[in-house]
Amino acid sequence: MAHQAHAYHMVDPSPWPLTGAVAALLMTSGLAIWMHFHTMTLMTLGMILLLLTMYQWWRDIIREGTFQGHHTPPVQKGLRYGMILFITSEVFFFLGFFWAFYHSSLAPTPELGGCWPPTGITTLDPFEVPLLNTAVLLASGVTVTWAHHSIMEGLRKQAIQSLALTILLGFYFTFLQGMEYYEAPFTIADGVYGSTFFVATGFHGLHVIIGSTFLAVCLLRQVQYHFTSEHHFGFEAAAWYWHFVDVVWLFLYISIYWWGS
Amino acid sequence: MRTYDVITHRHRPSSTRGGKMAARLLLRSGLRAAAAYRAVRVSAASRCMSTGGIPTDEEQATGLEKVIMKAMRDGTDPYNMMKPKGYAGSKMDPHLVPSITNKRIVGCVCEEDNTAVVWFWLHEGEAQRCPSCGAHYQLVPHELPH
Repeated sequence: MAHQAHAYHMVDPSPWPLTGAVAALLMTSGLAIWMHFHTMTLMTLGMILLLLTMYQWWRDIIREGTFQGHHTPPVQKGLRYGMILFITSEVFFFLGFFWAFYHSSLAPTPELGGCWPPTGITTLDPFEVPLLNTAVLLASGVTVTWAHHSIMEGLRKQAIQSLALTILLGFYFTFLQGMEYYEAPFTIADGVYGSTFFVATGFHGLHVIIGSTFLAVCLLRQVQYHFTSEHHFGFEAAAWYWHFVDVVWLFLYISIYWWGS
Repeated sequence: MRTYDVITHRHRPSSTRGGKMAARLLLRSGLRAAAAYRAVRVSAASRCMSTGGIPTDEEQATGLEKVIMKAMRDGTDPYNMMKPKGYAGSKMDPHLVPSITNKRIVGCVCEEDNTAVVWFWLHEGEAQRCPSCGAHYQLVPHELPH
């Protein structure tokens, strides 16, 4: 153990920030190359490098925290601040798309027929699959809270079951949303309605997939006894993220699916 | 009994939209709640590997986390996580400044809310006085915690 008079974690040198930066470079330039020269090689290379970076960097964090005990109370507090700040930044990300939606829908231009939904757009019935999706995500919020309490109370079997159920509900949402996308009577190319609808719900869907992945990693870790009944911040971070995803859906549902129909 | 600045667990997620302020408040109340919770905790044997299948920190913590956990339980603070104790700063009751070497930088905020901090090196031996307000500071050599 390093000789230090403080409780913080001075991390060892690591190559993953560099590989992550290189991955970002390859993905962005690869995107430009794909758009202009119709070859996906550079971008795909960047994506693979990104996945490798994420896997190895987060694996190292788990090693440092769970196996080496570097996540002392002040370190954990810093991680909490970090996750909250990250989620806040994501809130602002979605705020932008909501701004775009309300900008176009509150004062619809003559090109749209001066109305919202625009002329010619058949909206999805908010009381069919979208309502089911709402119920699914709300239920998953309940199950993830159940999982948290199970962990805190030291109940392994219940924790695993409720966490697995949460992930299944997440997959069910993604599946239903995928079906909706396939069956929708409008596309992303259908004016500003299509743009705002698919960009906002699309990024939300991506975040559902990210959140489900985070929870799945937590399930794996829970099965392997990483979490203790007092110290399980990885799980808490995943739960916070999942609740954030749920709240964004609620705003999407109210604004785009319901009010916007 | 000292209340420790520890987050053990928090019941409420804080990711509500526009909840940055709420998040900070929650962190603070979470700290206090955690401290209070620990104070009145039921026997730890009710949650452990043998009864529920999820280990406790007592059973599984390792490394620096474990050292700190034990120190907090014993009431010591080898890693200076707590606020320093308050002293009068007089000749009879000087500020005691722990150090792992023979000198340490001191920053004296002579009066509350002063924005100009008075910085100086405090050497081992006799107590020194702040060149601005005259408060007494005494270096106290400590072993490096291992």
